[in-house]
Amino acid sequence: MPDEVPIAETTNAVPVAQSASPHHAENREGRRRDALALIIAAAAWFLPGLGHALLKMWGRALVCFSTVALLVILGASMRGNIFSRSGEDAFAKLGYVADLGVGSFYFVARALETNGPDVSHANGDYGTRLLATAGVLNMLAALHAYEVTRARKA
Amino acid sequence: MTPPHEFRLSHFQAMVIFALLVSVAFGFLSRRGSYQRARYILWSFILFLLIGVGIGWAMYPFSH
Repeated sequence: MPDEVPIAETTNAVPVAQSASPHHAENREGRRRDALALIIAAAAWFLPGLGHALLKMWGRALVCFSTVALLVILGASMRGNIFSRSGEDAFAKLGYVADLGVGSFYFVARALETNGPDVSHANGDYGTRLLATAGVLNMLAALHAYEVTRARKA
Repeated sequence: MTPPHEFRLSHFQAMVIFALLVSVAFGFLSRRGSYQRARYILWSFILFLLIGVGIGWAMYPFSH
């Protein structure tokens, strides 16, 4: 085809020496920001609200911490099921992933539920859902903190 | 026997608490400014309740 530009021409269009240093600095900054975003996300997952607190978003930090804490306390007080790693079916495994989303609060929930779960009543079933909601909500908050650090969200 | 510290809620009460907490978290994460947040939280809370009750009624014929 006559309009087609040869590949060699497009790749050699910009001399490497001219664009190297600002491009490299930008790349380095991008990598540094990505690493920081991962650390913030891990902190947000481990302790609900910590990621936003590190970003000095105090309102969001307080809300993330209190909503996740309330859901965990309610779920555990209602004797909801806290799934363990040894889940037998797909639902138990998914439940474990959702419960792990609360980070360190997973162990708080286990400590609060001294009598173990009781899903023979509807109350325990509601508690299971509240615990899973806490985990998913915390994962969403961690993702938000990650995106904010990468300057994709306000 | 129910332990003394066990918290008991009806289905509706559990749904209201769920809707309220999730709406507050969504509002704070997705909006900036008090007015925008309050509007979003209220709207989201009402929709959670309406859709929850709506789905409950939609399932009612199948329970008999």
